[in-house]
Parts: sequence; C-alpha cells; structure tokens
Amino acid sequence: MRATEKQKLRGYSLLVAVMAAILVVCVLISFALGRFPISPRELLTALGEKLFKLEKSADITEQLRAILFNVRLPRVLLACMVGCCLSVAGAAYQGVFQNPMAAPDILGASSGAAAGAALAILLELSAKMVMLFAFGASLLTISLVMLISNSARGNRVLRIILAGIMVSSLCNAATSFIKLVADPNDVLPEITFWLMGSLSKTKPENVLFAAFPMAIGLIPLLLLRWRINLLTLSDSEARSMGVNVSFVRVTVIVCATLVTAASVSVSGLIGWVGLVVPHLMRRLVGNNYRHLLPASMLGGAIFLLIVDNVSRNLLKTEIPIGILTSVIGAPFFIWLITRKKETV
Amino acid sequence: MSGTSIDVKDLSFSYGDHLVLDGVSFSASNGELLCVLGPNGVGKSTLFNCILGLAKPQYGAVLLDGKPVAEYPARELALKIAYVPQSHAPTFNYSVFDMVLMGTTARVGGLSAPGAEQMQIAEEALERVGISHLRTRGYLQISGGERQLTLIARALAQNADVVIMDEPTANLDYGNQLRVLARVRDLTREGLTVIQSTHNPDHAFLFAARVLALVGGKVAADGKPDEVVTEQLIHDLYGVTVRLTRSESGAIRCEPLL
Repeated sequence: MRATEKQKLRGYSLLVAVMAAILVVCVLISFALGRFPISPRELLTALGEKLFKLEKSADITEQLRAILFNVRLPRVLLACMVGCCLSVAGAAYQGVFQNPMAAPDILGASSGAAAGAALAILLELSAKMVMLFAFGASLLTISLVMLISNSARGNRVLRIILAGIMVSSLCNAATSFIKLVADPNDVLPEITFWLMGSLSKTKPENVLFAAFPMAIGLIPLLLLRWRINLLTLSDSEARSMGVNVSFVRVTVIVCATLVTAASVSVSGLIGWVGLVVPHLMRRLVGNNYRHLLPASMLGGAIFLLIVDNVSRNLLKTEIPIGILTSVIGAPFFIWLITRKKETV
Repeated sequence: MSGTSIDVKDLSFSYGDHLVLDGVSFSASNGELLCVLGPNGVGKSTLFNCILGLAKPQYGAVLLDGKPVAEYPARELALKIAYVPQSHAPTFNYSVFDMVLMGTTARVGGLSAPGAEQMQIAEEALERVGISHLRTRGYLQISGGERQLTLIARALAQNADVVIMDEPTANLDYGNQLRVLARVRDLTREGLTVIQSTHNPDHAFLFAARVLALVGGKVAADGKPDEVVTEQLIHDLYGVTVRLTRSESGAIRCEPLL
C-alpha cells in the first residue's frame, strides 16, 4: 500500500467518523425539537433507567417518558433506519443495473407497496394490517417481476427493468382504481396521505417490524459490496474475474428489495432519498462500493432525520415527508446534471 | 509463472442455423503470443467466449490443463485465464488503481474484499505495465491507450497464466497501438501466454510469434507469421489484394494494391 492509498483510506475513515458524529448530534437535536422538547440530559437519564432498570428519577415526568418511548424515540429511529435503507438500496440498484438513475422503486417495490396499502385502507383494516399488506404486496410485486424477466428474452438487465416498469404500471392502475372507489370523505384522504409518505404515525411496533427484514437485507449487501463494483462492468468481464455474476446480482436485488419493502411499508412513499444520497456520497467517497455503501448508510440516516425534523416542526401541521424530499431532491438533481464532469 | 496449457479441440458453435465455428482446433502454452486473424463476424469473439467459458460450444471442448473449462467454477477459472476486453467506458468512474484492484477479486475467497496484500499486487501490476503514474486518475479521464494498459494491468493482477485479448488495439491511435502491442510482447517474454485477435496483418508480422487465421469458421492457417501469412491468405481473409514486401532488415510488410 503506497502513501496515496493510505491517505485515501484515512480520508474515508475521517469522513465516516465525522458523519457518525453528525448523526449523533442530529439525533440529540431531534429529541429537543417539538412541542415537548426533551433535553439530552433527560434523554440519557430516561434511557439509562430503562436499559439498566434503575429507579425512576424524580426529575422526569411520566408524560415525558410516554412521549419519549412511544412517540419521539420510535420516530427518530425509524427516520434513520428508512433513510439508511433507501440510500443503500438505491446505491445497490445503481450498481447491479449499471444505471446511475436507478432508484429503490425502479422494480416496482414502491408501487406494489402502495397498491397493497391502499387496498388495506380501503378494507378499513388496522394500521398494522396496512403495514403488512404493503410489505407483502411489495415482495409479491418483485417476485412477479423476477418471474416475468426470467421467461423474457434479450439482455438480462434490460429484461428485469422492463418487467419492473410493466408491473409497476399495473400496480399504479390498481392503486388508482382503489382511490376511485374509495369513500372520498374518510378513506380517500387516508390513502392519499399514505401515498405522500410520512413518519407521523410511527409506533414502537413499526420499528420492531421493519428492523428484522432491514437487518436481513443489509448484512448480505455489506458483505457483497466489493463485488458490486465488478457488476458495474460488463457481465463477461465480471465473470472472467471470477465473480458468479447471476448469483451476486440476484442476491443484491433480493436484499435491496427487502430493505426497500420494509422501509416503504412503514413510511409510505418517500422518493428521491435513494437517488440523491448515493450520488452525493459518490462525490464524497468515490464510486468504490466498499466505501460508498457505508457512507450511504450514514448519509441516508442523517438526511432523512433532518428532513423529518423539518416536516414535523416547520409548520403547525405536519408536512408529509415525501413532499419535502421531492422539494429537495429535484433541485439537487438539476444541479447534478448541470455541473461539471465528475471526478474520482 | 507456471505454464497453463490450453487445448481447443474440434470446437463448433452455431447461433441457431448459423454455424460460426466449424471444427476449430489449436493449442497454446508457455509464453506464446498467438494472434487470431480474421474479418469481422468470423467468430473470433465467439471463440474467445468459448475459451472463457462464457459460451457453451455445441461440439468439441476447450481444455485448460486437460480439464474442460465448463467444469471449472468461475473463481478457479479466473485464476488460470484472464480476459482483456476492448477499452470501454463503464457507467461509473473508478480510479485506475481500483480498476486494477478488481482483478485480484478471484484471489480473495468467499465474501472478502482485497486487502493490503492484494493492493501490493495491484501496485506491481501497474508497475509492470508502466502506468504507476496513472494510479489516482479516473478511468474515464485517461486516453484509450491508457485504458487498454489499465485493463492489461488488471489481467496481470489476476495472476492468470493465459490472457485473452479482444482486439486490444481497436479504437487506439497509431502510436498507442504500437505501444500497447510492444508491452504485450514484452509480457509474453516474461512467460505470459497471450491469445489476441486483430484485424491488422502488419501487427501479426510485427509482434506475433504465431498466427491463427480463421476463414468461414475454419482454421485456414496456423503457424509462424512469416511462413503462413501469404498474399493468398490475406485475400481469402479480407477480400483485398495485397503485396507482401520484405524490407532490407528482413521484416515483411503488407502493401495494399488498390
């Protein structure tokens, strides 16, 4: 390893450390924001007594505990988890599809989830069932996409993307139809609100529900991340360098889909995160997935946490987070396509 | 470098009814520089895909050290045989060093990524090809000739004994063509076995130790360029009339008669 390589590695380690520090600060600030501000001291005391089963401190009211553990903490955690997963999924899809414009919803994971959630809301099922329907429909959609792409002819990457576009379109039609027949007084607004994406109804069980599939998806992605680099080249090159191309590609797609489905099912449709954050990170750490994926995880968590804080504090009423990410994402992309040529 | 021997035996390949390769046989080993000559669409790329295990021949076999390539797992095959594609423009911009480091992937097993040892290997590969100064540059920012040398360094980092090069000089200017070919020739003198395709008979005269000419999917000639490349063969290959002239130094050059 020559000096330049060490320098580069040190630069990357420093960046990861700085981002981790920013994330911690953002988390502490998030607790302090809102109608019931929770100071870092109160937060640590309350967390400490819960974790270590200490005696309850007299300084902290029961109301504050209830808000902390049932509302604020789950929401902050979920914002970080969803941001992290959507960014990683976007970066991973961009690699395996050799397409810098690929986003987590490229294969229809979001459209499927939307149709599932809309159906559950139409049937007036509980919030838990809405989440389960969204998750199930999302996975079902991707299975259908993979099934269709397997029996189609032509370039494999193109086949998967085309199948994704078709199936998403079908799902969107289903969602539109459900909106058409939904009761415009109460059911339709609820569907519309879900589609805009929001973390406002986050409950502790949402966090627990999403955590498992997210972990299952993230671990293989992190383990395979060096090999994703080789998949961004042609299949024959990757294979001739000893990579089992179809195995790695399918594994990456399945894992990225799993974390996307888990995110969408608890947060609704939050666009742009999976596109904006990986591209920003490519600028900071380069295209090497070994550094890009961890950086995207941290960057995504920070980004969505900040946006969620804006969404719940900017106005008296919540602004759905999906609207905000679009407001930030679109101008970012205009900047991205008009800037000078990318450097390593 | 221990020699890996490669034996192509009676290889036939067809796309549907269209027979591309028809009973092709040859073998190569121990630092040979084999130049495959043939017009566009004669099946050079198909032949290479069969050798690399990317395409399955309908008849015949490709044997590496006596074992069919189809029986090698991807990783073991990569340790014996490397592939240098034409210089290309990938979707994402990697540094030249990262691009070469990718060649070491087959050496690190399972799910691990290249470490300090592999970085050293990549460093050495850059030095052998003479492009250490490009290491931090972006692959998309360097010239076509430099990209080709980067891909050759990547093949060296893979540490395979045999390297397949698909028209390494396509899209390169005159100077870069000669520089790349001279570098390849030097590497074969160090023991690397190279099988490369080319359109240019002069390149075969200049650099190849051996020529394999494909006409209509069949081997039309196999031997030393001075002995087998004749005016008739070039006419059969490319449909043009040329005169082969011997210069004062004894080198043969191709002079087209238009």
